[in-house]
Amino acid sequence: MKPGFRQSMAWLHTWSGLLVGWVLFAVFLTGTAAYLRPEISLWMRPELEVTRPGPDIAPRLMEAMARLAPSSQSWTIGMPTARDPVARVFWRDPQAPNRRGSRDAALHPVTGEVLTARATRGGEFFYRFHFDLHYMSPIVARWIVSACAMFMLVAIISGIITHRRIFADFFTFRPGKGQRSWLDGHAVAAVLALPYHLMITYTGLVTLMFLTMPWGAQLAYKGDRAAMNADIFGNAPVTRPAGRPAPLVEIGPLVEEAARRWEGGSVGRITVQNPGDARATIQLVRQDSERISFNPQSLLFDGTTGVLISATGEAALPAAETRGVMYGLHVGRFAGPLLRGLFLLSGLAGSVMVATGCVLWAVRTRQQAEKRGRVGFGTRLVEHLNIAAIAGLPVAMATFFWANRLLPAQMEGRAEWEIHLFFAAWGLCLLHPLLRSGRRAWVEQLGLGALLFALLPVLNFVITRRHLGVTLAEGDWIRAGFDLGLLALGAALGAVALLVAQHERTRPGTRRRATAPLATAEAAE
Amino acid sequence: MLGLALPYAGFTALCLAMERHHEQVLGRRQIPPGLQLVLRLVGWLLLLASPLPCLALAGWGGGSVLWCGMLTAAALLLTLLLAYMPRLAAGLALVLPMLGLLLAS
Repeated sequence: MKPGFRQSMAWLHTWSGLLVGWVLFAVFLTGTAAYLRPEISLWMRPELEVTRPGPDIAPRLMEAMARLAPSSQSWTIGMPTARDPVARVFWRDPQAPNRRGSRDAALHPVTGEVLTARATRGGEFFYRFHFDLHYMSPIVARWIVSACAMFMLVAIISGIITHRRIFADFFTFRPGKGQRSWLDGHAVAAVLALPYHLMITYTGLVTLMFLTMPWGAQLAYKGDRAAMNADIFGNAPVTRPAGRPAPLVEIGPLVEEAARRWEGGSVGRITVQNPGDARATIQLVRQDSERISFNPQSLLFDGTTGVLISATGEAALPAAETRGVMYGLHVGRFAGPLLRGLFLLSGLAGSVMVATGCVLWAVRTRQQAEKRGRVGFGTRLVEHLNIAAIAGLPVAMATFFWANRLLPAQMEGRAEWEIHLFFAAWGLCLLHPLLRSGRRAWVEQLGLGALLFALLPVLNFVITRRHLGVTLAEGDWIRAGFDLGLLALGAALGAVALLVAQHERTRPGTRRRATAPLATAEAAE
Repeated sequence: MLGLALPYAGFTALCLAMERHHEQVLGRRQIPPGLQLVLRLVGWLLLLASPLPCLALAGWGGGSVLWCGMLTAAALLLTLLLAYMPRLAAGLALVLPMLGLLLAS
């Protein structure tokens, strides 16, 4: 008998989802954390003061760069914003120890002085991890993530087709009923945030499309990557120095000119090439939080005369603008606090959707297996990986924050060690279920994650000056909010752990051991 | 506030027009046909009106994204409250829009 359309779609949904579920969960959760990239970065550098950027900050920063890197080929200055109140600068230096041949620093938003803070990747790590993974070439990682995202899109669409009662069950969540609850939870997290899931998966694919489907662009630009990057990303083309010294033009009038052309828009980034040379150029790029579209608007000036050479992004072509809007929607940098909160909520719903999907598979397979009287290796493997991926990742993320606070500030390779410890904790979570029964492992890892998160604000009291007592009094809402968020996360994970443990006690000898965490995971959401 | 209240109230009306949820909140499975029609109409009207505050706040581009997010948030809130505190879920549908109007005025 030929299976019906819906059944074949259900098969497709199950397998396309399960195969990549663990990677997707990690991508979803770290990607959600990446919405808070500047906030995390600031929290992880407790040394930095929060100050409102001064009015004539651009000239100050240019002077600072002239002192810092007088002989560099290029400078990039990220202007301070309300979310990230320090200026972040980079400059090229062939002698720099890292692979890119660049150095970076954080500058004071009023005086332009160099600020010293502990070395850390901050929120940048989660952002990078969610498409570059780690310990491997970014290109390979992006192929993996792209493939997983493609599976995800297949799973979403086949899932919509499979879901027979999409409207009848729209508001239905029945907790504490085993497999039924898992299915409800999975469907609710999926259906109610469906616009977001479709958007984020599809736009995620679009952001990586020049890697996965490069042929159109290769043909159009005949392999000239520099020209392509200039058109797409608004990067200024690299110019060679003339070898004749010439002073840089004043930056102030250029910033005013930009504000005029962008109808009051502000400058987000300044890139200077060949500073102090006769062929210097200055590029101003617009703040990317001001528009949905991620097609950067930029102005390129002659660095010695201040004459405008070219402008990009003012009248983007439809295809470029479509891509720009998709990219912009994905990274959500245009979002104000309210919308960012909704993005966070939807991202968490996505993580729950993936997690419940994986657990649902395990619950269902175990039920079938126990009817046959034999639980196979595959089922146990999936159960094991579910624990490590779903309960282990929060533990690893919390460990990353702990490492940030506890590693000595002057330590060599400090930023890298924070990341090594993140993966070490995750690795231990992968081994831990070997020693424990399934339910115990869930409870212990969830409980550990809860403790680690909830104790971070306490640790702040003990070893930093930026604890809640100070941040709340000073109105440092970014750090205070982050600490409160950590407490809430700890409470949520703790509630899940507690409910799993209780469920275990009230229903002794329960046949479906993975049932408990699901119902409770939902309860905490 | 109104941006969240309108879809929340709309979803609640629609969900009260469904037998299963009607029973959850009010304890009886039978819904008078007249009431069911009214609930459906009110629900859809509220949902139709729900993009307006978002569009007014953030324009066409940002507003439509905001509206999608609000729909999601409202529906998630309602579903979870229904499962654990059904009476509160229905009560909130009356309180939220009033609060929203108060804050908006």
